[in-house]
Amino acid sequence: MSKTEPVMQDIMRKPAEVLYQEELQALIREDQGKVPTGWQMSPQSVLKFIVGGQAGGRTITPKYIGNARLVEMAIATLVTDRALLLIGEPGTAKSWLSENLSAAIYGNSGLVVQGTAGTTEEQVRYSWNYAMLLAQGPTPEALVKSPIMRAMEAGGIARFEEISRCASEVQDALISILSEKTISVPELGKEVNARKGFSIIATANTRDRGVNEMSTALKRRFNMIVLPAPADLETEVEIVKKRVAEIASSYDLQAAAPSDEALQKVVTIFRELRSGMTLDKKEKVKSPAGVISTAEAISLLTNSMALAASFGGGEMTDEDLAAGLQGAIVKDDDKDRLVWKEYLDNVMKKRGAGWRGLYTACKEMNQ
Amino acid sequence: MKTEAASGAGVQIFGVRHLSPAGAYHVGQFLDRIRPTAVLIEGPSDASAEIAHLTNASTRPPVALLAFTEELPVRTVLWPFAVYSPEYQAMLWAQNHGAYCAFIDLPSSSAVCLQDIRGAARDKELLNGPDEQAPQSPVAGQTAEETGAPGGMADDPDLSASLYDKIAGIAGEPDYDTYWERNFEHNLRPEAYRQAILAYSGQMRELTEEKERRDDRLEYAYNAVREAYMCRKIAEALAAGHKPEQIVVVCGAYHASALQNPALAMSDEALSQLPARKTKLTLMPYSYLRLSSLTGYGAGNRAPYYFEMMWEQMRRGDVAELSHRYLASVAADLRRTGTHRSTAEVIEAVRLAEALSALHGGSAPTLMDLRDAAKTLLGRGELSVVAEALARTEVGTAIGALAEGVSQTPIQDDVARQLKRLKLEKYKTAVAQDLALDLRENRRVSSEEAAFLDLNRSFWFHRLKLLGIHFVKEQRRTAEQAVWSEHWVIQWSPEVEIEVVESNLLGETVETAAGFVLQQRLEECSTLKEASELISAAYECGMIHQMEAARSALQKLAVQSQNVAEIAAAARRLSQLIRFGGIRRIETTPLVPLLEQLFLRACLFLQEACQCNDEAAQAMAEAMNELNHIAAEHSDEVDEALWIRELSVLSDRDDAHPRLSGLACAILLERGELSAEACSAEVSRRLSPGIPADLGAGWFEGLAMRNRYALLSRMSLWDQLNAYICSLEDDEFVRSLVFLRRAFSVFSQREKTMVAELLGELWGVEPERAAEMITEELKEEEARMLDELNDFDFEDF
Repeated sequence: MSKTEPVMQDIMRKPAEVLYQEELQALIREDQGKVPTGWQMSPQSVLKFIVGGQAGGRTITPKYIGNARLVEMAIATLVTDRALLLIGEPGTAKSWLSENLSAAIYGNSGLVVQGTAGTTEEQVRYSWNYAMLLAQGPTPEALVKSPIMRAMEAGGIARFEEISRCASEVQDALISILSEKTISVPELGKEVNARKGFSIIATANTRDRGVNEMSTALKRRFNMIVLPAPADLETEVEIVKKRVAEIASSYDLQAAAPSDEALQKVVTIFRELRSGMTLDKKEKVKSPAGVISTAEAISLLTNSMALAASFGGGEMTDEDLAAGLQGAIVKDDDKDRLVWKEYLDNVMKKRGAGWRGLYTACKEMNQ
Repeated sequence: MKTEAASGAGVQIFGVRHLSPAGAYHVGQFLDRIRPTAVLIEGPSDASAEIAHLTNASTRPPVALLAFTEELPVRTVLWPFAVYSPEYQAMLWAQNHGAYCAFIDLPSSSAVCLQDIRGAARDKELLNGPDEQAPQSPVAGQTAEETGAPGGMADDPDLSASLYDKIAGIAGEPDYDTYWERNFEHNLRPEAYRQAILAYSGQMRELTEEKERRDDRLEYAYNAVREAYMCRKIAEALAAGHKPEQIVVVCGAYHASALQNPALAMSDEALSQLPARKTKLTLMPYSYLRLSSLTGYGAGNRAPYYFEMMWEQMRRGDVAELSHRYLASVAADLRRTGTHRSTAEVIEAVRLAEALSALHGGSAPTLMDLRDAAKTLLGRGELSVVAEALARTEVGTAIGALAEGVSQTPIQDDVARQLKRLKLEKYKTAVAQDLALDLRENRRVSSEEAAFLDLNRSFWFHRLKLLGIHFVKEQRRTAEQAVWSEHWVIQWSPEVEIEVVESNLLGETVETAAGFVLQQRLEECSTLKEASELISAAYECGMIHQMEAARSALQKLAVQSQNVAEIAAAARRLSQLIRFGGIRRIETTPLVPLLEQLFLRACLFLQEACQCNDEAAQAMAEAMNELNHIAAEHSDEVDEALWIRELSVLSDRDDAHPRLSGLACAILLERGELSAEACSAEVSRRLSPGIPADLGAGWFEGLAMRNRYALLSRMSLWDQLNAYICSLEDDEFVRSLVFLRRAFSVFSQREKTMVAELLGELWGVEPERAAEMITEELKEEEARMLDELNDFDFEDF
């Protein structure tokens, strides 16, 4: 498929295949494994791209930190040309993993259907350019192909984000696509058949469970992999550190990267609030109503960096951090405010001198 | 010895990992090719005679060889064999081809001792350096199989745990077991397996040996001693005339390289210096469940049933089908439990498992690949959905079986006999089963034996319980359950077998062993409680002699005891036995004189015992209730009149504990021994103005312990109580409240309301309002006052 090459320099968020272009090229160059039809590299190289390693003297940065086995299972699923469904709490890197997998396997992570309550069946299958349709009747030129249809034609990977937010009839449109691997266009009297390599990576949110429960028929067509929250403090700190650095460089934030100490503190607070327990498992704490995922921690820190850069001295202070924490944790105003206050006084206050500054700043912010 | 040993070079050594299907497969192929005249196997050399039993046609693995010391402290060492154990297959081959077959490792008598020494050293290490990565010593020193098992690749978990992780990491595998399965279990090329494992273990040994020699001298010495002994045994086989190339040695891969150097053979002198304790050997059925929970012991243990499937497939020459079988079994199990999964999903799961294995360049999916595929497809991403099915497919519930008469201890034979006699053989499974017993005679059957089958079962179960054999567990008796019914949960496990074997020290049959235990406890028992419990135990076990012995022990103790509470408890127990004795068809009349005696003693010491502190009064109140119960129940046998007399005295006494006096009064009232006038007089005497609160209110508390309705119906009593309370000073009033509150706390809500109504009537309050007041929530002020009361300081009390 032909892609109009946009100017990539000042683009706000680069897709994975652009961001990691050099790594991908190195991997393709050094690839020695068997490359499945329609893939641009072998499954082993895809794995290396995601979990990190070395390729021809080039360090491949890890994209998904934590459970490498889950990545293996995801890749193995796609090798067997099954569709993949990544399930998890918000902020467990479902979309991130899906984007990077598509980038590594197909070299294009842009064929995305975003699932919303307003997503229609046309967005999954195809629609028409109505001006042309009226002028010329149904012609191949008037056909507006969905990302999924384009992926089928190209033998590539389409992504379906937040599939469980779509209405059931929209979800069900996928069933025939996944089992027959064709989309028929009766108006033109033709069928679009999927070429080898076609697959779909869908993501679904566990918090949406029950909103638009997926039908058994559809579930059966996916291999489901549940992505957990990072297993331990070190893993999560590592994830946050890496992503904050990447985002800071792409947004060109003029602030120093957060210190390891600040990272440690933020991740500790997040993990404790998420699990409802202090890390030493000695004390129970209340969890706020909202989501406190790793992704939130990342955005909180970049947020604080932006604050420090724009309005502060470029060094992230406790006040900057406190403002970020306040915004991330207290979403449902009153209730969350109490939860946060309780946490501050019961847990953070007792943490000693190292936490004193942050405690005072948070306390002031939460008045 | 030396010269013969020197010619030992050329002996065929086959290193294996224990419990490894591929090992078993290759050993079989190897033996078929070499056709040796002697097969020597790593295992306790004194157990060679057991090989014939192990390979008996009716032996069904898993089975284990158990060595145990005859004297205390009992030490056991266990060698488990599954059908896919290379050692087991080697034995079978030798049996079928008429080859000489023997175990060549240290005899169990020495193994037990060395085990102890190593265990002790490890314990010390654990104490000294908690951060040391030392393994757990065998649980309670009872089963030492993890360390006592014939040495294999993973023999020394402490030493090389991190090393194994490193190997797996380098190979890009998630864990060592997966690494092993992928590289060795799936390798079915003849000779390649043996060479690969030899090379691999040789290198491993080089890596670890130096460190072991330096840091863990005991472990190093232990291996050296074992290897020297094995070399000696090989030399003996050579001396017996077997040609070196006609001898195959099957041993843990770790030892393979050492056994190729026969110069190491142990000298006669060294042999005589080996420590030894007398041991006995026996075979016992084993279970997959137990096998799967062994830690630190070679491969193949996590999922015995899975490995058995693998072994079966290898024999059929169709290993590729293993993943189909595994995943289909999981799906079938899910369907059985009501979770439907289609064949299409099983197919996709197989494909996923194969793709996962291909990612690692494997030829077939490993257990981990299969598990993950099952989780993703059959569990729809959730492990919890498939966890149970996975456990059933991987571990299984298989239990081994032995030919009759093979077990080596008389008590094992006795257990087998009893299981048959009591028709309990079908309960000998790893799955817990319920059994409800009806102890009454079954009149619909002809034979005496059948009529009392359940009773005999109950006797036997109680004996097992007494011996601490956890084959049966008694369910708690519920209140509405009839006395003739008993409920047991029966579950067999290899531990049970070990416990049975250990009981052999106590007696040759379950009955004699139980008798011995009872006798021993009787000799040690020093309280009435223990003695009366032993009578009960003997009664439940149906052991008349011991019951008589316990009776006389109790009698002797009773003569010396003045503790009324204990005497009453013992008497109560006897009373129950006398009443229900017939159910177990045991004559309990010999107990009657003892009951009389106990009761008499209790009556005689009652007054003295009632002059006690608050704490003892609690127990005494219970004792009095029990004695009263006995007096009513056995009025023909015991001296009831004496009891009434003593109660009257107690009721009148002012120096006894007031609560107990009150209780005595209540009992008399209840029995109609106290007239209404006498009662009224007593109440007014006890509650007259000027009597301190703890005496007056304490007495009332005792009075209120029984027959409350009788009290509630007596208006005069409440009038008197009211007058008494009104007469109290403020300070005294608060004191009395503490007692009264306690007295009324055991009253039901309804009874409390009635009391409130009665008092309301006295005070001229409307009954409804009073009831309302009493049931509504406490106000803050009231709650505070109550709290103060809770902290009430008795000062001089």
